This record gives sequence, C-alpha cells and structure tokens, in this order.
Amino acid sequence: MLNVKDLIVFYENAIAVNDLSMEVREGQIVGVIGSNSAGKTTLMNTLSGLIWDMLIKEQRKGGERITVMGSVHFFEEDISKLPAFRRAQQGIVLCRERHPVFPDSSVTENLKIAGYLRKRAEVKQGIELSFDLFPNLARHRSRKAGFLSGGEQQMLAIGMAMMVGPKLLLLDEPLLGLSPAMQTQVVEAIKDVRRHTGVTLVIAEQFARPLLPWLDFAYVIENGMLTLTGPGPELMDNPEIKSAYFGV
Amino acid sequence: MLQGTLIYGFINSVVLMLVALGFSVTFGISGVANFAYGALYVMAGYLSWLGLHSLGLPYWLAAPGAVAITAGVAAMIYWFILLRVRGLVVSEVIATFGMGLAILELFRYLGFIGFEYTLPPLIDASVMIGDTYVDAQRLCIVGAGILLAAFLWFFTHYTKTGLAFRGIAQDERTALTLGINADKVAAWSVAFGAGYAALAALVILPLGTIAVNEGYNVLVNALAVCIVGGLGSTVGIIVASFLIGFAQILTATYLETSWMMLVSLVAILAILVIKPSGLFGHQKQLEERI
Repeated sequence: MLNVKDLIVFYENAIAVNDLSMEVREGQIVGVIGSNSAGKTTLMNTLSGLIWDMLIKEQRKGGERITVMGSVHFFEEDISKLPAFRRAQQGIVLCRERHPVFPDSSVTENLKIAGYLRKRAEVKQGIELSFDLFPNLARHRSRKAGFLSGGEQQMLAIGMAMMVGPKLLLLDEPLLGLSPAMQTQVVEAIKDVRRHTGVTLVIAEQFARPLLPWLDFAYVIENGMLTLTGPGPELMDNPEIKSAYFGV
Repeated sequence: MLQGTLIYGFINSVVLMLVALGFSVTFGISGVANFAYGALYVMAGYLSWLGLHSLGLPYWLAAPGAVAITAGVAAMIYWFILLRVRGLVVSEVIATFGMGLAILELFRYLGFIGFEYTLPPLIDASVMIGDTYVDAQRLCIVGAGILLAAFLWFFTHYTKTGLAFRGIAQDERTALTLGINADKVAAWSVAFGAGYAALAALVILPLGTIAVNEGYNVLVNALAVCIVGGLGSTVGIIVASFLIGFAQILTATYLETSWMMLVSLVAILAILVIKPSGLFGHQKQLEERI
C-alpha cells in the first residue's frame, strides 16, 4: 500500500530522517517508535505531504532550508511531490501531534469542517459514527473544541481524521501529554476505530508499552535512522527495547 | 427630532454593517488580510457607472457585471500578489494596502472626480415613517443589510466552502491534512469579501457621489466595526455597527458633523485598551483566558 524508499530529510544541515525505507501493507497496524527528536514527526509530515507546505512557508520567510530526497509510493503511484491536500484526497490522512482541532469552533463544527471532501449525507453519518465511537464528544457536541480536555481533543482529532475517509490513517503521537488513564482510553478508542472501519494505521509514538502488543510491525528509529524492526510482540521481548522504553 | 435621530441612526448602523460584512469574511473569518477592501468598494461603484454611462448597458447587466469583475480582480490580487507573501501577516497587510492605494490613486489620476459620478437608486421615491421623511433607497439599504448578513451567517455555518473559511483561519496545516486546498479556499474568501463590498457599494453609493476618498473612509469604518465586534464574529459585527452607527449620528446631531469620522477611530482605540479581542471576539479569547 505504502512504500517509502531511501527517504532523507534535512533541516539546513541537520539531518532529521536518514536514509529510511519502510513498507505498510493494507490492513496492517504499523508503529514508528522513537524518543523525542528521533524524526518521527518529520517522517509523518513527509508521508502526509505537509513537509511541502513547511518548505514553501520557510522559503517565503527566507528561513530554514528544507531538503527532501527519496520516494514515497502509494498503491504503486509516486506521490513524493504531491501537496498534503492532494494526498488527503487520495486517502492518506494525518492526525498531527498535540491534538490539532479548531479551538474556536464547536465539536460538531470541527467534524463538519473535516467533512470537506465528503457528501452531505456522508458527513451526517460520519458525525454519528464519531459520536458512537467517542461518547464523550457527543456530550460536548456544542462546546468549543478549545475548552475540551486534552484526551477529548485527541479523540476529536481522530474523529476529524476519520471524517475524511482515509485508506491510510497516520497518527502522530496520539498519547502525547495525556495522563496514563487517558492514554488507556485513547488506545481503546483507536482500537475501536480500527475494529469499526478496518482502516490501515501508522502510529508514531514514544510510549511503546501500551502499543507494542498489537502492532503488526514496528520500526524503531533513533536520530532519524532505523535501528530495529520486527512484529510488535517480538520487540516487546527485545532487551534493548525493554531498557530504552520500559525502563526495565 | 429624536425620532429622526433614531431612524437615521438605525440606517447609518446598517450602512456600517454592510460595509463591514465583506471585510469580516476575508479578514475576520478566513484570516486573510485584504486592505485593498476600500479600493475594491469604490472600484465597484466606478465600474457600474462605466457600464451604465460609457457602455450604455442596462442596470440589470451593469450592476451584476461590476460585482463579478470586482470579485474577479480580488481573486487575481490574491493569486498573483498575496500568495507570494501568504503566511507573513505584516507583508500581507502591506501588499494589499499598497494595491488598494494604487487602485484608488489610479482612479484619481484618471480624473474620476466630480458630481456626475453617481449611481441611480433602486427605487426613486420616499416614504413617511411617523413624521420623518425616509427615501426608499435607505429602506433598500436596510433590506440588503438584513439579507446579506443572514446569507453570510448561513454560508459560514452550513456550506463546505464557508466552513473551510473558518478552518483555514484557525489552523491552516490541519485544514491541509483534511484535504482542504487552503490557497484555493483563501482566494474564494477574498473574492467573496470583494463581492460583498461591491454589493454594499451598489446600494450605498446612490446616496451620494462616488469619490476616491470614500475608499479610505470605508476601510476605516470596516476596520473599526470588525475590531470592536471581534474578528470572525457575525453577531459582533452587527452589535458593533449599531454601537458605532448610533454614536456617529448622535455626534453629528448634538456635536459637530465633521467629528463623525473620529468616532470609529476612538472606538478602535478604546476597544484595544479595554478588550483587545473585541466584544464577541473568538480569535484571541482562548489565549486571553489563559
């Protein structure tokens, strides 16, 4: 479904993603595990095409030079140069880190805005599905999204990404900044979404413990480079992972 | 006297609201600066005058034509000028303000000054309300104001493009990941706002002559209403235009007519000191709370 080959991303002279190749098959749940500044977010932005928007904005400002090399193929088609909104139209949807919602719009409105590409009836169905999956959101449907708690905002962000109708859903640090109890809730919510829609998932995260057991395949990255790969449960038993991510 | 003040205060308020609506769509709701707004307003007036008098077109062709051309010019300003500096707010303001100056001063240079530059009223009659004479054009303004405000509210709450306007203003990157082509939507927003400016010009300008200076006044008034009401809030626009509108008429009646223009400026200053996000402001409300 998704093939990434020899991906390299530079910010000025600093290398953020270093010669990375990965593959995602249809129906899989794939994890990208790494600590802070490992290059997870840059990788997700490159997969979703947002990097091109950043590149253009930096150029306008005369700011940081961003360089992207390598290729990204989606269903055998080269999408390396496509901007983010085109990739979303093709079915690659990114849910960015730090629960990106529209803070001044109500919960329902957020979902409606997210339904930009869908037909009116589909938007209605999608909103109902989101409320079914996340009962918390249904309770706060007319509240401003900015007043929701972090966990609720994260669920809303996932609901918004699902409104687009993704074939491949990219989640960038869905557990970031959440309490352990909320983390468990969000993990359950992601599992629910998955059960309901069967969407293919790529999750970038540093809290490996709640995720690894159900990852079909995981890539562990450090300083932009792949260090370990393998099915999630297998990595659970890896001594390096244990010491680096579980503190054992 | 009092009755007349109330009626003319009401009409003046609706005029302000009409002038502010288009500016609010672009700058308030979508977050794209368009300070060529006043110039586009005046341009719509001159274009329909040219259509009527130089080309001899009937009104039903000249007026919509002027609206369409104004919106088209605004979209081109976005595509060829604003897009290069999009994301750098100060540059956006400077670029569009410069464009506005160029358009207005071009009209002055071409000699579009004088009393012959007037637009015909929609209905040439007057009615008595109580014991005050009100001409029908002013009633048309009130009607147009209500219609355009209602349509704007509907458009930004129930249509995809309208909802996308608010999406790109709040978080452009998130909008992009949701499949919204932010540049296209922003161009639509600039064109939509200019279309509103043109419609406002067509109903308001018949009250007087089309003058270059009107462009500057319109910009100041629109800015004042949007800032006082709070950027991005349609309700705020309505409330603020009534506050400023009545304040202007009361100033003209009881103090001095020439002080009318000061009211908007004082209103901008006062609101920036007391509540910078405006009376019904969304944009900065959350940040101020924290």
